[in-house]
Amino acid sequence: MKLYNISINNLLRRKLKLLFVLLGLIIGIGTIVSVYSVVDAMKLEMTRQASEFGVNVVITPDAGGLAFSYGGITLPEIMYDVEQLTNEDVTTVASVSSKEMIKIISPKLMGLAKLENHKKAMVVGANLQEEFTIKPWLRLKNDNEAEADNDIKANAEEGDKNMSFQSLDLSRQELALLSLNDNQVIVGSMSAASLGLTEGSVLQLEGKEFEVYGILAESGNGEDNQIYMSLTVAQELLNRPDEITVIEMAVDYSLSSEEKLLSELEAALPHTQITSMRQETLRRDEMLTRLVRFGMTISVLVLLIGMLVVGLTMFSSVRERTREIGVFRALGFRKLDIAKLILLEGLLISIGGGILGYLFGMLVANYSGELLVGREIVVQWHFSTIVLAVGLAIFMGLISSLYPAYSAANQDPVEALRFF
Amino acid sequence: MSEIMISINNIIKTYRSMGDEVQALKGVSLSIKKGESVSVMGHSGSGKSTLLSIIGALNPPTSGKIEIDGIDLYSLSQEKRADFRREYLGFVFQQFQLIPYLTAHENVMLPLTTTRRSNKEKQEMAKEALVRVGLGNKLNRLPNQLSGGEQERVAIARAIVNEPPLILADEPTGSLDTKTGDEIMALFQKLNEEGLTVLMVTHNPDNVKYLSRTIMMKDGRLLNHDEQLITTMNNTIL
Repeated sequence: MKLYNISINNLLRRKLKLLFVLLGLIIGIGTIVSVYSVVDAMKLEMTRQASEFGVNVVITPDAGGLAFSYGGITLPEIMYDVEQLTNEDVTTVASVSSKEMIKIISPKLMGLAKLENHKKAMVVGANLQEEFTIKPWLRLKNDNEAEADNDIKANAEEGDKNMSFQSLDLSRQELALLSLNDNQVIVGSMSAASLGLTEGSVLQLEGKEFEVYGILAESGNGEDNQIYMSLTVAQELLNRPDEITVIEMAVDYSLSSEEKLLSELEAALPHTQITSMRQETLRRDEMLTRLVRFGMTISVLVLLIGMLVVGLTMFSSVRERTREIGVFRALGFRKLDIAKLILLEGLLISIGGGILGYLFGMLVANYSGELLVGREIVVQWHFSTIVLAVGLAIFMGLISSLYPAYSAANQDPVEALRFF
Repeated sequence: MSEIMISINNIIKTYRSMGDEVQALKGVSLSIKKGESVSVMGHSGSGKSTLLSIIGALNPPTSGKIEIDGIDLYSLSQEKRADFRREYLGFVFQQFQLIPYLTAHENVMLPLTTTRRSNKEKQEMAKEALVRVGLGNKLNRLPNQLSGGEQERVAIARAIVNEPPLILADEPTGSLDTKTGDEIMALFQKLNEEGLTVLMVTHNPDNVKYLSRTIMMKDGRLLNHDEQLITTMNNTIL
């Protein structure tokens, strides 16, 4: 017989006490696991959303900004010392150490070009295959497409999901065909409507004639008001050779550390401003922050209460076993043996409480996570979380059992027995 | 090798309670030979329990010296005294003091729990001890599944399992009927005949006949031979 035989037998005999201690641990650990899992699932969901969006890192020129205020009336911010991006910056981006994470780099030049009627239109110079890949919602509208468009609209009535999938497929089909000559442009739906352009129309920009290759289907985004052409053509047309307004990128976060890539980019391009959509999303999601803070506060409180329950129950168990401990001491158990006996009980309960608490927490996260955060989330089962949960439970159990163990070990055997 | 098992020299034990000092033992000296079986008798408060706890290495005296088998008990550290109890002493407590959630077999194994013996060896030793007290067929019974006499036998088996030279018993028949009490005393007598030294605190004069010597205590000291004679006569008359 070993000490653990005594501990196990004692725990099994005092089932109600065991249940109380286990509950203390299960609730404490369960709360932490559920909060942790829900937050983890939300972060994953945000990453997934950011990845699906296509563009997730944007590089823009760094510039000073100053807002003028006149008696409480503030004018829009005025930018100064704008150091424009160049083609060289695009090459630099493509050569950072974590470049395997960057799936697509789409540099763009944006500017206003004069139309025939002296009005101005927003011109965007880009590599259109990359632009269409990075923005999967972009697609051309032509006669064939129009039919497909009708089908899509019909499908849309059946369900949004079907529509988005078909749109994506269409944009992919178009990609291979998308090759503009230097005198061809693609016009956004709003611009086409206001300028009365259709596919094949001729458009004059800065005195130069361009053929309309296609019209973009309405997207509800800024692209509706833009006129797309090749990057080099735009640089020449706007007389801004080598210049880039913005570099948009699609990054696969699953390959390596996002922070590493961003810091590499920041080091390589010190004169730029690098914005990660995912980090931005995470930073801006106040609900997440609030949930994390609230959840962690509750978790710590529940954990403390759990520790108190474990400690008090263990202590009352030691008090009840005064005579028994006296017998052990009289039979030759050392003080350390008595302390080990109590700590072993704490350890056994903790391991059980940790595992059950983990399962309870995951159950809560799975079934109420969606209710808690108000969106669909997928809770992941991580081995590291169970290790963390059991480790935390052991820490809690042992800390709570320390005083009862000390108290038991220091009981005076004569007082404990009172038999002589 | 010394023939003396217990040597007590001028033991004084003072308790402090609520600012008052109570002298439980007032200079007790005593010598018990190996192989003797001795009963300690006396009224409540006479100091016999205190004396037994001091001999049991559980309660340091205020002054005086006690040696068991030549070992000065209270010169040992607390932990060494725990080892000493395990190796040299077998305790039989009042009301058995069995652990209710352990079987008879496990209860008997308790003194062996913290030894370095193998599990198999511990099981064999415990089984052998239970056979010695006539309970070889009730190894897996819990205490509440045993009669009072059987529980006492388990307690005795637990006291002898590690083969200590000295058994300390406190009112072992106190909660047993006369017939069972006699059976238990016969068992003590048998163990004594096998070479164990027995020191027993008892109120029951019937137990005395199973033991080789009786010591009477009163008000924290041992009665001398004449006083013992008078006390015994008074008890007999009463």
